Amino acid sequence: MEQPDLLILQMQQRNEKAFERLYSMYSEAIHGIIYSIVLDEAVAEEVLQDTFIKIWNNAEAYDIKKGRFFTWILNIARNTAIDKTRSKSFKNTKKNLTTTNFVDILTSYDNLNSKTNAIGIKKFVDKLKPMCISVIELLFFKGYTQKDAAKELEIPLGTLKTKNRNCLRDLRWLVIGPQ
Amino acid sequence: MNEEEIIASGILELYVCGSLSEDEIHEVEVAIDKFPNLKKEIEIIESSLINLAENVSPPLASLVWTYILNAIHSASNGGSSGTNEKSFNWAGVSGWAAAILLLGGLFWAMNQKSTLEKQVDYTTTENEALEEELQTTEKELLTTENVLAVLRSDSFDKVILPGNDAVAPEASAKIFYNKEDGIAYIDAEGLPTPPEGKVYQVWSLIMEPLTPSSMGLLEELSAVKSNLYKFEQFPAAEGFGITLEPEGGSETPTLSQLYVLGTVSQP
Repeated sequence: MEQPDLLILQMQQRNEKAFERLYSMYSEAIHGIIYSIVLDEAVAEEVLQDTFIKIWNNAEAYDIKKGRFFTWILNIARNTAIDKTRSKSFKNTKKNLTTTNFVDILTSYDNLNSKTNAIGIKKFVDKLKPMCISVIELLFFKGYTQKDAAKELEIPLGTLKTKNRNCLRDLRWLVIGPQ
Repeated sequence: MNEEEIIASGILELYVCGSLSEDEIHEVEVAIDKFPNLKKEIEIIESSLINLAENVSPPLASLVWTYILNAIHSASNGGSSGTNEKSFNWAGVSGWAAAILLLGGLFWAMNQKSTLEKQVDYTTTENEALEEELQTTEKELLTTENVLAVLRSDSFDKVILPGNDAVAPEASAKIFYNKEDGIAYIDAEGLPTPPEGKVYQVWSLIMEPLTPSSMGLLEELSAVKSNLYKFEQFPAAEGFGITLEPEGGSETPTLSQLYVLGTVSQP
C-alpha cells in the first residue's frame, strides 16, 4: 500500500475528515498491536483512543520525508500500551499473561468472527516455526530494537535480520499473491 | 550493496518495524533515494505487517472513533478532559494576556500623558497669570514709590482745594504741584462720584486777571492709581479748580458746578 501522504498532510493541517480516513486505514492494525501488548479488550480500546489522540496532537512531529507514517504511529501505540501495562491499576488486575503471543491470539479467534483472509493468515501462522514467532513478536509487536531482540534470542544481528525476512516471506503472498 | 542485496539483508523489514537505530534508518533512506524500487518493496512489507496485525485485532467498536473525536474537540475548545491537558494552549493564552496587559498599560500611559499635559497647560497658564500679576504689582509698586517720592519731595507743593460751600461743602481735593517741571498730582479721594454723563474737569488758574485753562479730565487716561491723577505740560498756575462738566469736558469752566477751589501758597 502506498502511503497516503496527502491525507497525512491534511491531518497535519487539522483536517478531521483526513484524520478519520487515516483512522479507518490504520486503526485495526494498531489495535492488534496494542491488544497483543495489553491482552485486554477494554484496555486495548482505551489505549487505542489515547494513541490516536496523541497522533492528532503531535501530528506536526511526523516528517513525511523521514520514515514511514505506519512506523511512526506504531511506535506511539507500543509506547502508550507499554506505559499502560506499567501503571498501577493495570498491574493490580493483570498478572502472568506475558507468555501469550500474537499466534496464541490469532488461533484463539473463532473463524466465523474473523476477517476475509483469516484462513490464509491461519495457514501462515500454523507453519511458523517457534523462532519465527519469537522474532516477529519481539520486532514487530513488542518494538524491540534489533540489538535487544538479538540479545534476547541469543542469535547474531545479521542472522536476526535475514531470519525475520524469511519468517515474513510467506506473509507477503497473502498481500500480493504468489510470484 | 545493490538493490537485491539490500532487500535480501532484511533491513527493510526492520525499517518498517521501527527496530533500527538512527544511523541505520538514515542508511535505508539514502538507499531509497538511490534505488526507487526499494519503496515498492517497503510498501509490500508494510502491507503484510498491517495485514498480520489486523488479524490479531479483536473486533473494534465504532464508538472508539466517537470518543477520539470528542476528545480532540474538547481539547480544541480549551476544555480539559484528562487526555488533553497537555494540549491546552498556554502560549496562546499567555500571549493574549500579555497583549491585554500591554494594551491596558498603553491606555494608562496615554491617560497619564494627557493628564500631565493638561497639568502642564494649566501650570503654564497659571504662570502667565502670575507673571502678569507680578508685573502689575511691580508697576503699582513703582507708582506708589513715585507717589511717595512726590509726597516727600521738596519740589512739590501741597495745595488743598476745599469744597465750594455753594455746590459741595463736603468735597475736597489735594494737589501736589511741581512748578518747575509743570507736573501736578491730583488726589480726588474727597470728591463725590460724578453722576451719569458728567465728568470732573481740572483747571489751572491765573488770578490777576482770573484766567482758567483746562488741564484735563479726571478720567482713566490720566489716572495713576485709583483717585490719583497726574497732569503734565499745563500753563503755570496760581490756583486750581475742579468743575463738573458734561462728558468730554468744556471750553470754559461751568462756575455753577465748581466743586473745589484752592490757591498755591506764594513763597
